[in-house]
Amino acid sequence: MSEQLPAILLVAPLFGALLIGVASPGDPRRAFPIVLLSLSISLAATVALLTKVVSSGPVDYFLGGWAEPLGIGIQLRVDGINALILVFIALIGLLTAIFSYRGPDDGEPTDKAPLFYILYLLLCVGLLGITITGDAFNVFVLVEIASLTSYGLVAMGSSPRGTLAAFNYIIMGTIGASFYLLGVGYLYMRTGALNMAQIHSLIALPEVAASQTILVAFLLILVGVWIKMAFFPLYGWLPNAYTYCPSGASGILAPLVTKVSVYVMIRVMLSVFGAGWVFQSAGWSQTVVWLAVIAILAGSFIALAQVELKKMLSYLIVAEVGYMVGGAWLANHWGMVGAIYHILADAAMTLCLFLAANIFVKHAGGGRIDRLEGLFRRMPVVAGAFVVGALSMIGVPPTGGFFSKWYLIRGGIEAGQWPFVAALILSSLVNAVLFFRIFEVAHFGRKPADGHHHHPPHADGEPSPEQQGTIGETTGSDRKPRLTAVAPLVAAAALVLLVGIFSGPIVEIIRGALQGMPHVGAAAPLIGR
Amino acid sequence: MKWIGLIAVVLTGALLLSAVGDFPDFGDPKSPANGGVGDFSVSQYYITHTEQDTKVPNVVTAVLADYRGYDTMFETTVIFIAGIGIIAILRSHPPGGRRGPAHPIDATVDGDHQRIIIGITCRIMIPIIQIFALYVVAHGHHSPGGGFQGGVMLGASFILIGLSRDLQAALARFSERRFIVLACLGVAIYAGFGLLCLLLERNFLDYGVLDGFFHTDPVMARSHGIFAVEVGVAFTVTAIMFAIYANLSSKGRLDEGL
Repeated sequence: MSEQLPAILLVAPLFGALLIGVASPGDPRRAFPIVLLSLSISLAATVALLTKVVSSGPVDYFLGGWAEPLGIGIQLRVDGINALILVFIALIGLLTAIFSYRGPDDGEPTDKAPLFYILYLLLCVGLLGITITGDAFNVFVLVEIASLTSYGLVAMGSSPRGTLAAFNYIIMGTIGASFYLLGVGYLYMRTGALNMAQIHSLIALPEVAASQTILVAFLLILVGVWIKMAFFPLYGWLPNAYTYCPSGASGILAPLVTKVSVYVMIRVMLSVFGAGWVFQSAGWSQTVVWLAVIAILAGSFIALAQVELKKMLSYLIVAEVGYMVGGAWLANHWGMVGAIYHILADAAMTLCLFLAANIFVKHAGGGRIDRLEGLFRRMPVVAGAFVVGALSMIGVPPTGGFFSKWYLIRGGIEAGQWPFVAALILSSLVNAVLFFRIFEVAHFGRKPADGHHHHPPHADGEPSPEQQGTIGETTGSDRKPRLTAVAPLVAAAALVLLVGIFSGPIVEIIRGALQGMPHVGAAAPLIGR
Repeated sequence: MKWIGLIAVVLTGALLLSAVGDFPDFGDPKSPANGGVGDFSVSQYYITHTEQDTKVPNVVTAVLADYRGYDTMFETTVIFIAGIGIIAILRSHPPGGRRGPAHPIDATVDGDHQRIIIGITCRIMIPIIQIFALYVVAHGHHSPGGGFQGGVMLGASFILIGLSRDLQAALARFSERRFIVLACLGVAIYAGFGLLCLLLERNFLDYGVLDGFFHTDPVMARSHGIFAVEVGVAFTVTAIMFAIYANLSSKGRLDEGL
């Protein structure tokens, strides 16, 4: 059975979704165990696959048994890089599913919960499928699945702003996916192949490599995934979509969707076009790193101007995407390692921060940062987890965020990209300011004599627009957060620490996978040694 | 804002056009997509091997549902998600329960005539549409057609009931519970046949191993497997076509429709 793992990890959540549709439309109680069971199977399969990849190298899986000749069927390919990301997707999917549990005393309409879980499980299928595939067109099909489910999940929030955000998201997401598809079409026009390894070996031919069609294909794919990952300035859809979607959805969308798009970019660079082709001219790399510097600075400073907690975190995602794009385009070994490692670290810390923020918003009555007053004392465990996530965002050891910054800065110094190094450090400082501002309000409360704050923005009894924007959460509740919300959060905080503590083995797996990439000749500095 | 859009469109257009000079000639049998680069071509393989691999005369069907059947399974899932997404966003249960039709039946002579003409025409047409749709599903092996096209026609026949009479008449034949279950069942048939292969210790969607199940040889089993998944596709497409119509036309209330 172990050679069937790549199929099992996809099929389990797919059948889970279908089972919910057949068995329990209208009964959320029956949907929840199905979600947990199918995601647990998926998680077990990804972990087994990771151990297999670590012990015996990349795993290939040919759907329908069409292995020979290569390229007639669809190939799944798991190496160290995507094996790690698969584990994180399944784990984060499971934790957020537990977080999204709504008990009988929550008093919210739950008749749409089964539909929510169908979309949720299929989103997991989409993300896992994008990550595992070795076929350039298959990526598009699963991007469609992940995108359509995301739009549905964002629009399911009861806030009208969420609906508008979902509409913007649909438009931008469709444009991004169309660019990607056009790029794959151009690639097919020149190579006649869709299998990544096959395209890669054809692009190694000089007459194909020099072709204008291949160049245009690369630019189209790059712009497509940049829109999907909200790379500055193509980030417009992200902040509202992640701020106003239901809390269960933001727990999986924010950590995973942009990160998987970053993975697609790296996979396309390394396994489709090949590092040798992508970095053939130094000018490109220079340009993209500058764009990344702008993304990091813009994301950080716009975050500084936010008054709403979730919106601030959303802008931080825009800055973090800049880290990863910049790292991948440094065109050296440590930059690439840092970018891939940061996919994992950032997924863990974004999960931690968004889960904590969802609890805060629910219990503070609105998402404004200045309303968080005293919450740390009321919820010490949630506060502790939030601090862990925040320290990782700032880059304090031993969290994952520290090590990814370490590798990225090392890559930046080796590449001589000083603006990138400066932007990373500056962004850490901004993050420190941002989060210590929150710590201050949440732990000590507002200073009564502070001239800027001494009148509350909205008189009591009159709901602020931010409060209206987050309906779907019971606002202003004094109850303790339930265990099913706190436990996943604590697990997420532990994950942030574990990613940091075990950064050595994780980085060895990533480096091993990079060294195992085919056709390394022209890209030796990237592969290391 | 419009200027930014215009600049983006012009730049994208220029980028797309810049590669046109490099394109292979239109209809060139030696172009990469047709003849491959180097000594192997996927297209040539499909053209020369489909018959012996799968016994399906229609190469497009074999590529769609067998060689690249995994893509098609997820395309079916995309359709499923589109329908479920629309239900998830729009569906609402009005507090007053189900109301009667807001527009009373037009009992005047003119209104009645129109109703009779449309009603009788549709009553004659709908079974023919449905039988043709089943033919299109079943005949995908030999001619253009298959699950997607046949499913759209079947779905359209139910929409026609909703249009020619009212949504309630269509829902009486194809209730909400039924179309959700049928949509799930369609994808489950597709993925289920894939899973069956996996349980028989071959790769997912490797229908060749189902020869015992279909009482035939492994190559013919592929042909039967393709038909089985086409039926699944048709189920999902039928159900989702109607689900989208029913929810959009009644703003998610599933009461009276257009």
